[in-house]
Amino acid sequence: MAILHILHYPDERLRRKAVPVTSFGPPLQRLISDMLETMYDAPGVGLAAPQVDVDQRLLVIDISEDRSRPLCLINPEILECSDSEQMEEGCLSVPGVYEKVERAAWVRVRAQDRDGTSFELEADGLLAVCIQHEIDHLEGKLFVDYLSSLKRKRLDKRLDKMRRHNM
Amino acid sequence: MGRRPSGVATSDDPRVIAARCLVELTTEHRSLSQLLPAYLAGLEPTTRALVQELCFGVARWHSRLEYLATQLLERPLRGRDADVQMLILIGIYQLIYMRIAAHAAVDQTVAAAGHLGKGWARGLVNAVLRNLQRRREELLAGAEQDAVARWAHPAWWLTRLQQAWPADWTTILEANNSRPPMTLRINMARTTRQLYLQRLLQAGIAADEVAAVPSALTLHQPMDVARLPGFAEGDVSVQDAAAQLAAPLLAPLPGERVLDACAAPGGKTCHVLECQPALAALLALDHDPQRLHRISENLQRTGVRADLVCADAAVPATWWDGVPFDRILLDAPCSASGIIRRHPDIKLLRQPADISALVIQQRLILDALWGALRPGGLLLYVTCSILPEENTEQMIAFMARHPEATEGGIDASWGRPMAVGRQILSGDQGMDGFYYAALRKRP
Repeated sequence: MAILHILHYPDERLRRKAVPVTSFGPPLQRLISDMLETMYDAPGVGLAAPQVDVDQRLLVIDISEDRSRPLCLINPEILECSDSEQMEEGCLSVPGVYEKVERAAWVRVRAQDRDGTSFELEADGLLAVCIQHEIDHLEGKLFVDYLSSLKRKRLDKRLDKMRRHNM
Repeated sequence: MGRRPSGVATSDDPRVIAARCLVELTTEHRSLSQLLPAYLAGLEPTTRALVQELCFGVARWHSRLEYLATQLLERPLRGRDADVQMLILIGIYQLIYMRIAAHAAVDQTVAAAGHLGKGWARGLVNAVLRNLQRRREELLAGAEQDAVARWAHPAWWLTRLQQAWPADWTTILEANNSRPPMTLRINMARTTRQLYLQRLLQAGIAADEVAAVPSALTLHQPMDVARLPGFAEGDVSVQDAAAQLAAPLLAPLPGERVLDACAAPGGKTCHVLECQPALAALLALDHDPQRLHRISENLQRTGVRADLVCADAAVPATWWDGVPFDRILLDAPCSASGIIRRHPDIKLLRQPADISALVIQQRLILDALWGALRPGGLLLYVTCSILPEENTEQMIAFMARHPEATEGGIDASWGRPMAVGRQILSGDQGMDGFYYAALRKRP
């Protein structure tokens, strides 16, 4: 297993639309294990394949405190969603930034598991938010896209400063 | 998806806690007495002590630290980075005023920038503090040339003090910037100062008698009240010597009705009852329910009784039954300019306009209470202020409005006589700055 390099905003590779997973062989199994390890190491509660520069519709999630409920969603689709709520989000590709984003409070999702078996999942709370956040990555979308232009401008300036200080 | 690391929201890093507390102080205009309990809750004793030291120290030297930070920063930080700015002041404070090894102070403060969630500022904090170490002599010499930096008071305070006390203002400022002594009030109903001093010596605690105040002992070293012999039993309380003058000046007789109009936290209320337990009634007012609660704690500990009412002293209709009082103690709301050494955050919180608002409030309370005093009765006016407009000038104006008011005359060795009343300047005989005037209503 290995810890993968996470791409950071505004890397253009985060903007690509991912393609469906078709092969469920050993390379995919290794990728899933590596993505879980990378997410736990970060630490984060969700990671989508485009964040580690893999152009496929695949994401891993674990919102438990003790890493006890790893979840892998392959080729996920949101079938239904309802209500909306605001929750503070962060992103492993936008480190240090936490902002409130409005999303559906409840979702029903269809996806395949790591063996390719189809399943449906209903989620609310943090899990619902996390699923929507990760599915966005598959579309090349980031949570900062939801911020007002003013907040976004401020954020870009701040990230710029962070980069200069880190150099 | 990432979540805000919990270490950012709540941190055990004393420098982070102090920075957040001080930022809240300056942005929300709340005092350290109001803020610290929440920030200190659940911390280890050593962390608590360091957070307190940093908060009080940075508040005490704020103007000087700001001056030094301005010299060291190429350009000012933005408002949203007030926490980083405060952390820089905390770093400078440690290097100049604390006995922490310099390299440890710098390293810990740099690390704290990360714990604040401002990792980008690590390099900045490091550069500023290293520069201070290199340019220390030059920068401190520069601070001596700048009045605000030198005296660590806002410019308007300096002007007011220079005008009010042309011969004493530098002594006052030095007292304001010194660390206050811990002074005890001996419960004379239970013991004597001599006997209690012996108990302290037996417990290995060194203390001195305060010459001008018969109930007061000053400890050589501040300490935890819980370790004072007899504290829980009410044999002794913590109170500055200047504040201990109130009860003996009020000097109520057995069977009299007494009003303590702005009583919280109740130190003077308890003292009045220790001096004269045989009162017909003692009514203690305060408008703040939380502070009123502290009076009842103090009363319980010292084992005395008073009637507590949460009300505005300026509106007697809400608390007065119409039966006149024999004596009234008015420890009036004031600028607290006499106790800056105990509450250095006053320098950050108080604005010039506050003073005129306080003068009006004092006048309203005085006029309202005067009506509740029986002819022949005594009103003792007290402030912990050294500003004439709250003290002597307030009294002169009051006596002009109320020709039936005469000065009760205070025969004392402490402080200095004014046109009306007596003034203790901050640090006089080791005491807090207080003002006392006794007004008698002509029969």
